[in-house]
Order: sequence, then C-alpha cells, then structure tokens
Amino acid sequence: MLNEEKIKLMTSIGLFEKREGRRIFPVNRFFRSDYIGRYLLKSFLGYTLCWMLGTALVVVYKAEDLLSAFDFSKIRGLAGWYGIGYAVGLGGYLLITCVVYWRRYEYASRGMKVYMAKLKRLEKRYEMQGRTGHGGKRL
Amino acid sequence: MMALLVFRGKLRDFYGKYDAYLIPLIKLSLSLTVFFLINTNVGYMDKLKSPAVMAVLCVVCAFLPYGVMSFLAGAVLLAHISSVSLEMALILAVLMIMVAILYYGFQPGDSYLLLLTPIFFHLKIPYAIPLLVGLSGSLVSVVPVSCGVFLYYIIQYVKQNAGVLTNDASLDIIQKYTQVIRNMMSNNLMMVMMVTCAVGILVVYLIRMLSVDYAWHIAIVSGALAQLAVVFVSDFLFDVSVPMAELLVGTLVSMVLAAVYNFMIFAVDYSRTEYLQFQDDDYYYYVKAVPKITVSAPDVKVQKINSAKKKRREFYEQ
Repeated sequence: MLNEEKIKLMTSIGLFEKREGRRIFPVNRFFRSDYIGRYLLKSFLGYTLCWMLGTALVVVYKAEDLLSAFDFSKIRGLAGWYGIGYAVGLGGYLLITCVVYWRRYEYASRGMKVYMAKLKRLEKRYEMQGRTGHGGKRL
Repeated sequence: MMALLVFRGKLRDFYGKYDAYLIPLIKLSLSLTVFFLINTNVGYMDKLKSPAVMAVLCVVCAFLPYGVMSFLAGAVLLAHISSVSLEMALILAVLMIMVAILYYGFQPGDSYLLLLTPIFFHLKIPYAIPLLVGLSGSLVSVVPVSCGVFLYYIIQYVKQNAGVLTNDASLDIIQKYTQVIRNMMSNNLMMVMMVTCAVGILVVYLIRMLSVDYAWHIAIVSGALAQLAVVFVSDFLFDVSVPMAELLVGTLVSMVLAAVYNFMIFAVDYSRTEYLQFQDDDYYYYVKAVPKITVSAPDVKVQKINSAKKKRREFYEQ
C-alpha cells in the first residue's frame, strides 16, 4: 500500500540531495579547520604558480632593459619589491580564500542540519508504519 | 500587459515541461555562435574550421557544463592564434591559466559570462552585459566579464594585425613578444570598456539590492547612465573614440534587453506592497512584502458533444 506522506517526504529529500548535495556532502566530511586549510594550501600553490608565470611574462618583456642596464644593486632592490609584492598579494588572496570557504562551510553545516531533520522525519514515519503494521493512507 | 503576462506564464510552463531538451539546445546554439565567431574572426587554422570538427565540438558542448565549453573555446582560440603568432598564443595561454587558477579555482560557475561577453560586444550591444549581470549575478562577476572584454579585444587585435604578426621576419621572437604586450597594454579602449563594465555591474547590483520601490527599474536606468558617463569621461581623458550613434543605440537596446529580463524574472506589483512589524525575544522585524504578478495561462478545453464521425456512424446504423 502506498503512503502518500512518505512518498512526498522521500521526494523532497531526493530533490534536496540533487540540488544541494554537491555543495553539502563533500564539505561535511571535514572539520572546519581541515576544510579551510586544504583550500588555503591549494590557493597558496595556485597563487605561487601564477606569480611565477606572471614573472616570466614580465621578465621576458623587460629582458632587453634588464640586460642593457645590468646593475646588481638595482636588481637586488627590484627583487626586494618583488618579494613584498608577492607577500602582500598572497596575503590578500589567502584572506579571500579563507572568507569564501568559511562561508561555504557554514552553508553546508546549515544544509546538513536541514537534511538530517528531513531524514529523522522519514525515520519516524517508518517507525510509525512498523507499529501500525500498514503503509498508512491509501491513495 | 495581461497578454504579456499570459505569454510569460506560457513560456515558463513550456520551459518547465521541456527543460531536459531546451537546456542542451541552448548550449548547442551558444557553442555554435561562439565557434562560428571564432572561426569568422580568427579562423587561421584550416583543420579546425572544418564543419565536421565544429559539429563534434558543438555536440560535445551541448551535453557538458559551461566550464567545458569555455575550455574548448579557449583551446580552439589558442590553436587559431598560434598559427599566426606563437608569442601572442603564449601570452594568452598564460593569462588564461592564471584566470583559471585564481578565479575559477573557487568554482563560481559563471564561466558562460566569458563566452557571452565577447558575443555581446560583437553584436554591438556591450552595455547589455553589465546590466544583465548586475541584475542576475553578484559583484565578483566583474572578473569573468572583464576577462571576456579582454578576449574580445585580443581577437580584434589579432584580426586587424594578422599580416604584421605573421610576416614580420625582421623582428626576433623577444622583440615580437615585447611589441605584442606593448600594443595590448596601450589599448585604451579595452581598458575603458573594462572599467565601464565594472562600474555598470557595481551600480546596477548595488541599486537593485536597495529596499525601494522599482529598485530594478532604477538600477537599469542608473546602470545605463553610469556606463554612458564613464564612456564620455574616458573620451575626454584618454581620447578614446566610441561612435556616438553606436553608443546611444547600443545603450537603448541594452536597456530594452534588461527590461525584458526584469519582466521575465522580477515582475512585482508595488501598488500592493505590505509592511509588517513584529518582534521575538531577540529581534524587531520590519518586513516589506511585495506581491509577485502571477497570471495563470487560460486552460481552454474544447469538448465535442457530437463528433462528426459518431453522427455519420449513427446515420449508417439507422
């Protein structure tokens, strides 16, 4: 016998899983610090790679100037500024990463609570069905 | 107005009913437009221009996410440009990788803007993109829109300088590379259009988020005026020439497109706005409820009481 309320509940859980599953389930496998730390590391590596690529572009662009006026102290000064630029940019990028993934973790935690509440309701329905011994209302 | 609302309702129903077919169809037409524009503007590699290759690419794009479509379009663009200028392709590849890592590392899901922006620029309605993105997206959408503007002007640069880029044998690779970067950086129009789009998105987004009546309408008009203002100011400051007729007509068409989008997505009746106030243990709530305009499509059922067939059968039976 079909239980209309149970089908509605299961459909709603299925839809929730389909819409939000990708944003919720992978996140909830981690503690907050591990989740954010993982992306911070990824961002650090990504930013460093991009910085290196960008540097390569600029160095080739300025190659003639650098070679024509080769001055060790000037290059050392430039390298200092280069390091400061890298550190400031990295700090900003990591901050953005931290904020974005903190919010995503919060969103996933709230979503997980909603999902668990829906599952509990379904479980109660099953228990009730087990006690009464029938599927409930007939369609 | 009522007829338009009914039409909107029918359109929504139609989309809801056939979205499984419509979404691949939309993706197919978008990919077709993108690859067609790439081929007509910078189609320097004959193998990639063949209809069979294009058909395969479009069909693949129709069933995969927009991110894959952007990746394939980028790869095709790089392949075409590399056959003209390897230096240019190298610079573009590095910049694409940087955007992919730094921005798309966050998985924002708006890579379709990378494709739509050059299309709108090509159709001479570039001012529509900031209006539509400001109404539908978020502030970070400035990044993909700016990248789209950059890609459009790179395509234009390659198209206009293909002969110079290919045949300039007097320059070595470093000199060519330096020249390409210098030309790209000295393109004031590109910079101005990037700033225009960013300002447009910012103004539209901030105004439509305000809790005032007709916020979306005000946002569209303000966004269009802000974009015009940026273009005019840039014209004086940086001597950027934008054809006046193209600017005004483009802005008007963009506003119309934004108004259509507004009508389809956010049709509300401000005359029936209600204000509520209540409180719980922790907060006071000041609620403004604006009702949506909803008109259900008339469900016409024609019931035939006496069908012609039945009548005829009855006649012969007699």
